[in-house]
Amino acid sequence: MRRLFVVVLLLVAVFAGTTGAGAQAGRIVVYSALPDLETSMIHREFTRRTGIQVEALSVAAAGTLQARIRAERDRPRADVFVGGSRDFHIPLAREGLLVRYRSPVAAEARVSPAYLDPDGYWHGWYLGALAIIVNAERWDRELGPRGVRKPTTWDDLVRPEFRGQFVMPSPVTTGGGYIFVATQIFRLGEERAWTYLRALNTNASQYTPTAPGTITLLERGEAIVGMMWAHEAIGARALRFAPLEVTVPPDSGFEVGAVSILRGTRNLEGARAYVDFLMSRTPQEINARFGFRYPVRADVSVPAGATPFAQLRFVRYDLEWAIQNQTRIREQWTRDIGR
Amino acid sequence: MTTWIHPGRLAARLRADPGLAIAFGAAAAVLGAFVLYPAFRVLVYPSWQDYLAIPHSVRWVQAARNSLLMMVLSTATATLLGFVFAFATTRIDVPGRRFFRTVAMLPLFAPPFMVAFAYILMFGRQGLITRTLLGLDVNIFGWWGLWLVQTIAFFPLAMLIIAGVLDAVNPSLEHAARNLGADEWEVLRTVSVPLIRPGVAGAMLVVAISVLADFGNAVIIAGGFPLLATEAWFRMEGMGDLRGAALVVAMLLVPSLTLFLLERYWVSRRVYVTVTGRGSRLEHPPTPPLFKWAAFAVCALAALMVLLVYFGVVAGAVTAVWGRDWSPTLDHWRLATDRIDTLWTSVRIGALAGAGTAAVAVLVAFLTSRALPGRQILDFLAVLPGALPGVFVGVGFVLAFNPTPLGGSLWLLAIALAFWHLPMGYQAARARFQQIDRSIEEAAANLGATGLRVLRDVYVPLLVRAVFDAFAVSFIRAVTNVSIVIFLIAPGQVVATFVILNMIQNNIWGAAAALTTMLLLLTFAAIGATWLGAGRVLRTSPMG
Repeated sequence: MRRLFVVVLLLVAVFAGTTGAGAQAGRIVVYSALPDLETSMIHREFTRRTGIQVEALSVAAAGTLQARIRAERDRPRADVFVGGSRDFHIPLAREGLLVRYRSPVAAEARVSPAYLDPDGYWHGWYLGALAIIVNAERWDRELGPRGVRKPTTWDDLVRPEFRGQFVMPSPVTTGGGYIFVATQIFRLGEERAWTYLRALNTNASQYTPTAPGTITLLERGEAIVGMMWAHEAIGARALRFAPLEVTVPPDSGFEVGAVSILRGTRNLEGARAYVDFLMSRTPQEINARFGFRYPVRADVSVPAGATPFAQLRFVRYDLEWAIQNQTRIREQWTRDIGR
Repeated sequence: MTTWIHPGRLAARLRADPGLAIAFGAAAAVLGAFVLYPAFRVLVYPSWQDYLAIPHSVRWVQAARNSLLMMVLSTATATLLGFVFAFATTRIDVPGRRFFRTVAMLPLFAPPFMVAFAYILMFGRQGLITRTLLGLDVNIFGWWGLWLVQTIAFFPLAMLIIAGVLDAVNPSLEHAARNLGADEWEVLRTVSVPLIRPGVAGAMLVVAISVLADFGNAVIIAGGFPLLATEAWFRMEGMGDLRGAALVVAMLLVPSLTLFLLERYWVSRRVYVTVTGRGSRLEHPPTPPLFKWAAFAVCALAALMVLLVYFGVVAGAVTAVWGRDWSPTLDHWRLATDRIDTLWTSVRIGALAGAGTAAVAVLVAFLTSRALPGRQILDFLAVLPGALPGVFVGVGFVLAFNPTPLGGSLWLLAIALAFWHLPMGYQAARARFQQIDRSIEEAAANLGATGLRVLRDVYVPLLVRAVFDAFAVSFIRAVTNVSIVIFLIAPGQVVATFVILNMIQNNIWGAAAALTTMLLLLTFAAIGATWLGAGRVLRTSPMG
């Protein structure tokens, strides 16, 4: 009988050996808006080089992590916020939740100042462009024979042939979704943009809570047309032979994938080392090879199957306006579209 | 029904036996802190204006309607299938009865999202069966897909409960009816059915609670239409809208608690089922062949649907690209092995949760078996978590404990899981206590042992099994849990189910399947250990 108590005690002792967030040196906690695969590959390489252990939580939805960081304002649990567009880091910086840092590695590599925060709150380390994505298999079977034209512009997406067949990531929880909505506002003006979004809503079958969720549906043929980051579709095509066609329309939107250090970090040195690492070659190569995202470094080659970033045509994206109105737009979306 | 605490009497009892007093206080304190308090926090978090605004929100009315509709549909089919299955394997000499029974148990050990995942692989647009074999273009995403998935996921629960009831019916009553000249149909109508009706009603309510609270399958397969359980998660995780999340889970609590109270006080019977099968009994008369083979066909089809779940996941783990390239590969295992650390985190949390469940279950079961005034309240609190949907518990723990130092720690997740699985462990311990003859205890008391001494020297040795059972059930449920994990997940405690769910949602099917297979092996290893360690007992309780 005594033995059982001893066993239980031992169990508890053994399993309680580690607690949650690592406070000890040589360990950093990362919130990552990149998918699990790229995150864990990059982190393994980081640990191999610096000896710093990484505890990561990857949720491929920058809006979700932004909400978490705000909620944990009084007791920050993470040291670094990585991935997700700068659009999600800048509001946090203005709320005083980030720490300044200027990575010497970025300066050394002559990364374009357009991708770095002049105040040093965030560093851009990858780029992505919004695209129209078509499932070629279902298109050829269902819409092609009816003589439907493939969509090549944003306005094509509201055509009635696509009713119930359109998917995109949610503007409330994901960066891609929000940047798309902002892009429409810069393209059409706010009033016409909402009219456009409501028209698009009649075609939408769902708004996925995470960014890769949209690709999943397109890839499986659960939807025929979608709006998503080009790199996600190119990746699905290259890694899993998904029958996807990618078109970056004129007036597209883009993201500058950022990394930032959270105020209240318990390991500032480790967090800085992490930012330096992301500005170096290897992680940007990993991200280009497995995530198909554009690097910000000139010495890393463009991902396979992607048009060079300089050749794409983007809308005049008013970053300041997009940041100022982020909360309002997201709330209005929830109210008006309600999905 | 309820005995109120008479303060004077209780105080006198406790003064006479300080050990008992401490135990009673401790039990009341932990149940209050980890069952009542989080629930209370959820209910008072939204303002009453928020509650009044519910009917005006299109989306929430829609989610509530969808949830209730799914509950009615899935409960009906799962109970029906469970009933046919139970009836065939206990009353009809269907060939392969034992095999069917064993197969039908399998879904009880699967992670809650596994059926949905496997059926996407089998019946989705890239489905092995629908597309590759039959050349169909099927959309499994949506309400009918979820209906199918939940039917298969929850009919074993109905089957177990109903089989237990059928086994408990004494066949001599039926024989007596036959001897009095009733034909088979009359026997069924006038004797068997009235006897088993409450059991079937109970099974129905238990299944309904499980369907209503089901998060894992819903989040994977019901992409396009909102349900309360998934809506709560989108609110909190997606929008950081804790108030909305609290409101949604509060809405979910109403039907769930109603069903629970109905089950407990109207049907009011606990069902324990032994896996070893039936006790000795009179033989049933042979069934007409038509019936026999019809029953066999239903059982075979259901068993096939269950086996497909397991086959789908294992096949998915060794197939290069599902639906496009069927060549066998072990690449996915490399990816899955990369995340094996999450599996150990699962084991750690599961072990803590199991230990917590076992400890609290035995303590409370001991107390409620005493003639203590106020024991009904403890008893009620110990089974109450069975009425709470996982997402409700998740939101409750976030609201109650996130601002405390417990927030974001492994302990919080373990505690949440331990208390959510308490009813199972508690009922097992209760059953053991009821088996123990009181005279042993009286003898000990006459020799001067205090209450706690009685517990230690008399009860605990007899209870080792109950402890093991409680531990095992809680452990298995904890390592496969999604609904609570999804709310309490934090860096440093990323568990396997969370990663699998992400992988499924991001279409990394191979690695998801491989990691799920590993989780299954772990679960079955735990079951095997329990089997060896503590009798072959399996209980069901009102939980999804």
